[in-house]
Amino acid sequence: MTSDPLVVFDRVGKRFGDFIAVEPMHLEIHKGEFLAIMGSSGCGKTTTLRMLAGLEAPTEGEIRLAGKRINDLPTWSRDTPMVWQSLALFPFLTVRENVEFSLKMRGVGKDERRQRAEKWLERMQITEFADRNVAHLSGGQRQRVALARSLVTEPEILLLDEPLSALDAHLKVRMQAVLSNLQRELGITFVYVTHSQSEAFSMADRVVIMSRGRIEQVGAPQEIYRSPRTRFVAEFLGSSNVFAGRVTEAAGRGILIETPSGAFAVPAGAAGLALRPGNEATFVVSDDRMQLSGARPEGGNALEATVLAEEFIGATAVVHLEGPGGEELRAQKSHDELARLTLSPGDKVWMSWGPEAGHVLPGR
Amino acid sequence: MRKTVSVYGLTLSMPMLLWQLIFFLAPLIFLIALSFWTVRNFRMEPDFNPGNWSRMLGRSVFWEAYFRTLLLSASAAIVTSALAFPASYAIAFKLSDTARRWAIFLMVIPFFTSYLVRVYSWQIFLSDNGIINAALGYVGLGPWPMLNSTFGTMIGYLTLSLPLVVLLQLFSLIFVDRTLVEAAHNLRCGRLRTVFEVVVPAARVGLTIAALFCFILTFGDFVSPLYLGGGDPPTLSILITDTTKSGQQWPRAAVVALVMIATLLVIAFAAVRFAYKERGR
Amino acid sequence: MSDDINRSAPVEWSLRAYLLLTFAFVFAPIAASFVFSFNVDRFPSLPLGGFSLTWYQQVAADPLVWEGLRNTLVAGITVSVLATALGFGAAYTDFRYNFFGKSLYLALALLPPTIPVVILGLAMLAFLANIGLSGAIHSVIIAHVVMCAPFAMAIIRLRLSQMDPSLEAAAWNLGASQWVAMRHVIIPFCRPAIFAALFITMAVSFDEFAVSWFVSGLNETLPVKVLGFLQGQVSPKINVIGTFVFLTSMTLVILAQILLMKRGTGGKAGQ
Repeated sequence: MTSDPLVVFDRVGKRFGDFIAVEPMHLEIHKGEFLAIMGSSGCGKTTTLRMLAGLEAPTEGEIRLAGKRINDLPTWSRDTPMVWQSLALFPFLTVRENVEFSLKMRGVGKDERRQRAEKWLERMQITEFADRNVAHLSGGQRQRVALARSLVTEPEILLLDEPLSALDAHLKVRMQAVLSNLQRELGITFVYVTHSQSEAFSMADRVVIMSRGRIEQVGAPQEIYRSPRTRFVAEFLGSSNVFAGRVTEAAGRGILIETPSGAFAVPAGAAGLALRPGNEATFVVSDDRMQLSGARPEGGNALEATVLAEEFIGATAVVHLEGPGGEELRAQKSHDELARLTLSPGDKVWMSWGPEAGHVLPGR
Repeated sequence: MRKTVSVYGLTLSMPMLLWQLIFFLAPLIFLIALSFWTVRNFRMEPDFNPGNWSRMLGRSVFWEAYFRTLLLSASAAIVTSALAFPASYAIAFKLSDTARRWAIFLMVIPFFTSYLVRVYSWQIFLSDNGIINAALGYVGLGPWPMLNSTFGTMIGYLTLSLPLVVLLQLFSLIFVDRTLVEAAHNLRCGRLRTVFEVVVPAARVGLTIAALFCFILTFGDFVSPLYLGGGDPPTLSILITDTTKSGQQWPRAAVVALVMIATLLVIAFAAVRFAYKERGR
Repeated sequence: MSDDINRSAPVEWSLRAYLLLTFAFVFAPIAASFVFSFNVDRFPSLPLGGFSLTWYQQVAADPLVWEGLRNTLVAGITVSVLATALGFGAAYTDFRYNFFGKSLYLALALLPPTIPVVILGLAMLAFLANIGLSGAIHSVIIAHVVMCAPFAMAIIRLRLSQMDPSLEAAAWNLGASQWVAMRHVIIPFCRPAIFAALFITMAVSFDEFAVSWFVSGLNETLPVKVLGFLQGQVSPKINVIGTFVFLTSMTLVILAQILLMKRGTGGKAGQ
């Protein structure tokens, strides 16, 4: 990734009549990165993608691609191929004709077209279906046709609008690997819109979280996970334990916050520096930083919680607990660890975490 | 779904069946028999006389009329489809929902008004001292003869079929997946090109059916070729009406009718096959 | 969708203008009929000669016209009732039942509008003549029912597809026999479509000239008389008759469309 942004959204906003779909925002997309734009429906992520493709026009601000303003360029003059959720494959053309389509539009000669399309058919492993009608293919095969069709012109950037949401679970996982590998091999920029946290976090270099037209946070997946910037993001991720309380000590780089479940030491961080004793504060601890033990651990942050339930998510499990102050808490553990602990609903167990594992949220 | 036959079910379903069997299917089948009957002293007698067939199919008048009608109807289908398309495209893609409902509402109305009177009105417009020539006269342009020509016939055919063709095309265009249009734009296809490369192929079924109906309607129409086209040379439909009313030669008319039916069946079959044909294996 | 940059204003406006031209073409003959029915000149042309009701008076005084009108009305009303009844039964049959040969049944019920009228006319003339039913008003009625019943069936079938199918079953479940359920559930729900079918079939019969010309013999309907006038000299009486005919058909069609656009209760979307 170079430091030159490939795409810049400069104070770009979109409004439909009275409804504000996207509030004026600033976003830079770097060359060669896999960027995921994530959020629940209606948050503006698809509108943002469509503005980049030219299917919607921004009501304010400027979009720049490779330094040039593209607001006034119609869709067919931009080089921003997109993969639709429904794939939008042309049902009246064969696989080969679908893939050759954009080359044909650019006036590429018949032989060259065929050659270039053939290369991509091979690369996506769909050569044997080349002369079939797209309606006779399976979901995964159609996905690969859609990708070949968009990439045949060797663009600098590829836009994807929830392309995997119609697939069933195991196919989804397989396609995620295909996409990640593809992006890395080609080295081009992927802009990927999704409502699925697991998709975004497993494939992307950086994630943009949007809510109600506003960008809530931008950053690498790990970074967001560890240090959610707002309470919304923390709760949206759902994997954080949220504590709210009052500052009792604020000395240097660590602060002490008194909550209904006890007093806990939290690193001040950027958001906590301005806090003084008496201020209200909220901090989060991500669930994979939580330790569980039968006996009270020595020192550090700890509280005694009641086990509510266990949830199995693939290779790991999440234990849901209730804190002494009534908070909803969770701890992520591997199956082995859980086996060693042998927990049942109603059991009391000690939750603890290191003083550096907490993260103060700015504002509320 | 009850498997047993009930009086209730029969009472509701049988009337239509019986009526169409007796008064629709039987007359058409009877045409076949009729074509072999002989006319003696202005009376028709049941017979097995293939003479009507050999006589009619042996006349060059018949074949001239046949190919002329075929050509006229094919041209009408093409011309009407082409003229209707920008209108149906506009209704499907360029109007708001309310405006679209009004457009459909208005387009349905002429479909149910008297075709005959509308053709007569076109005589008002097209005749040598009619409205159009009078208007041309004001700007000093000479009278253009428009009646008693193929042009006149075509105007009549348009009057007959344009509303139906627009509605049938519209019905197909409305259901074209809009993301296909967006995908085409995204793949570097400009506005006009998208219409031909994406919209038309995607709406192929409706467009073909619309053209087919236009063909069928014009193939059997005798009013336009007679009153706007001059009636000479005649179309197949005019042959039938002439043969029936003035000549009382119903069997010969039946021959013409049966040839028409056979032609229409072949063309309809081919059209439907073309409409639904899939690309690729 | 505001894809402003992908649309071009001149193209949008020219398409809309073209659409207006198309409507102008389609309605021009209707408008001309109306305008020239009041024109005092015998030969319609520009400039208009002046306002006059003379042609209306002449038509009103012409007994042949009244005879044609009477035949048309008798036929029209009878046809619309019969065709709607047949169409209703067929629509309900399609809605409720599945049976061997159903597609043939439907084909037979719906095919008449696709057969050229000139062929239909000849076939009916020959057939009815041979069984002694041609040359009278009932010949026209018979033929028109064949041609109009499919329209009635299509209209009512469309309305039935908007009905929650379990409504009928619910009525049976509560003790209603099939006939009672028909009377109290199906027919009330279909009422707007039934009236629309009555109007449309009447309009179709009203304007039908081709088959009538073949089968009506001396009992000519109004359109057949118009056909006769057409073969004679130019007569502005046709404008008057035309205006009257247009107004009648248009009223019937407009009423039918209004009826069909309303969604009554008992539909699928809500109860």
